[in-house]
Amino acid sequence: MAQSGFGEEIKIPRVQFPRFPMHVVRGVVLAVVVLLLAASSFYTVDPEETGVVLRLGRYVRTSDPGLHMRLPFGIERVTKVPIQRQLKEEFGFQTTSTRARSEFTERGREVESNMLTGDLNAAVVEWVVQYRIVDPYRFLFRVRNVRETFRSMSEAVVRKVIGDRTVNEVLTVGRQEIADLVEQELQALCEQYETGIKVDQVVLQDVNPPDAVKPSFNEVNQAQQEREKLINEAQSEYNKVIPRARGEALQAVEEAEGYALNRVNTARGDSARFVAMFEEYRKAPEITRRRIYLETMNRILPQVSQKVVVDSDLRNLLPLLNLKPEAKGGDKP
Amino acid sequence: MRIVFIVVAVCLLIVLRGTFYVLQEPGQVVITQFGKPVGDPVTNPGLKAKIPFIQKLHRFDKRFLEWDGASNELPTKDKRFIWVDTYARWRITDPLLFFQRLRDERGAQTRLDDILDGETRNAIAKHNLVELIRSTNREPTLGELAPEDETTLELIQFGRDKIRQEILAAAQTRTSDLGIEILDVQFKRINYVEEVQQKVYERMTAERRRIADRFRSEGEGESSRIRGEKERELKRIQSEAYRKARTIIGRADARATSIHAAAYNRSADSREFYQFLKTMEIYEQTLDSETTLILTTDGEFYKYLIK
Repeated sequence: MAQSGFGEEIKIPRVQFPRFPMHVVRGVVLAVVVLLLAASSFYTVDPEETGVVLRLGRYVRTSDPGLHMRLPFGIERVTKVPIQRQLKEEFGFQTTSTRARSEFTERGREVESNMLTGDLNAAVVEWVVQYRIVDPYRFLFRVRNVRETFRSMSEAVVRKVIGDRTVNEVLTVGRQEIADLVEQELQALCEQYETGIKVDQVVLQDVNPPDAVKPSFNEVNQAQQEREKLINEAQSEYNKVIPRARGEALQAVEEAEGYALNRVNTARGDSARFVAMFEEYRKAPEITRRRIYLETMNRILPQVSQKVVVDSDLRNLLPLLNLKPEAKGGDKP
Repeated sequence: MRIVFIVVAVCLLIVLRGTFYVLQEPGQVVITQFGKPVGDPVTNPGLKAKIPFIQKLHRFDKRFLEWDGASNELPTKDKRFIWVDTYARWRITDPLLFFQRLRDERGAQTRLDDILDGETRNAIAKHNLVELIRSTNREPTLGELAPEDETTLELIQFGRDKIRQEILAAAQTRTSDLGIEILDVQFKRINYVEEVQQKVYERMTAERRRIADRFRSEGEGESSRIRGEKERELKRIQSEAYRKARTIIGRADARATSIHAAAYNRSADSREFYQFLKTMEIYEQTLDSETTLILTTDGEFYKYLIK
């Protein structure tokens, strides 16, 4: 231990530290350094993200999904931006749970959805904006608090578009047109503010009159349905009666036609018979007449139950004759 | 020896830290020396150097920054009270000037409050409500309501966008010497104040009632019309059929008459023969078992009985 001359006289009692072997300490330090180096040199970017790399604060590159290297110890810093994910902002309501069935609440969001229409009426409009980040650089470095900004922009644009329409347009016919227009104008505003956002779709959800006037809007719907009902009833009655009457009319006409045919043909037949008989009659009028007379009598007389033959000289017989005999029968005088 | 080395190393580190600094991407820096700005502001990001200890950094954001107006109750020119909520976006374009005039963002916010709220108030007081709501003079698309029931859109002279730009222009001139630029001012929300709201609801309700009444009376009117049409159509069909049938029958009767006449009316003989034949026919048809026939011997038939 003691080598040189001076050192031996001054004897200071030394506290003995537990001595580590130097190479162990060195090894541990080296291992820690290497670990730190590795940890800060590698980073991964998820499939839906892109990494924006800053070297000492300056933008140098963006990196695609996968495992990447960077300069260690914070020389290069990476900010990840989810550019593939479709992002969504809800206005006038809030999705509270997406398990199994989505649940919404509108509480506290009324201030977003109440707005004025162009005819100075009020409407409650709820909508959703779906968007993506297409320019991560702009998204990070051009606008502070992009999400809040984007929400404000969206509210302003929707109110502007709604403000140019009547309450009826807003509630009924104009919905798609409003959504399309909002999308366009919002996109334009996104460009102007250099947000790096692309608006994918604007969807109007519930568009309603304010609660206080809802009953009267329902009344209009009801009255409208009532009108349709009354008209339909009258129409169905019309349809029940008129086609049938048409059929009956046709029937009457057809029947008349039938009568006409019958009448004319009968007349023709009768005439033809007469003419034929007359031709023959002319040849021997006297005897023909007599023959027809007698033949007729021959047919008639057997039918007649009571026959009274009186002499031509007898007068005033009729008052005496009992025309209703007790016993019916062919009694010959 | 070792202690000296450590002390020197620490001092060096402190000096280095005071000298070099990293300017992150959306930032910019104004350097002051004993409170006085020196040199140009640094706006390019990267590793930078300054004189340690005596020069201080003042970092500012380069991005568009938010300004949100307080929601204010304001009267319009046509004396309607409305809630107006505006927002604006602005940025620091001249950090040095900004630093000199406004010091920091907090200072800027209060100044912007003064300017933008003031200009908004002025603009709103100068215009009617409809000018703030509408932006064009477009014609409304008509739905299924009768045109009389559609609410109309009042025509405007300026419109929302123009008024907005008015505010923006006025605010821009007032902020031009502050080292900031206002990018945009927008009306985020405009709404009636509570009391007016009630009145508007009442008006809307009355309007809807009117429309509902019209629908109902339309329904009744239309159904009466259809019923009337039905009656008319029914009468028309029936009477037309009657007319047609009678005409056909009449024509047939006439034809039959003429056929008969042509056959029977040839000569005196034929007329006589017809009468005779027809009479015989009628005898045959009319005399039956119920008939009591009284015949005299004068007749053709029984004259032989006497002899």
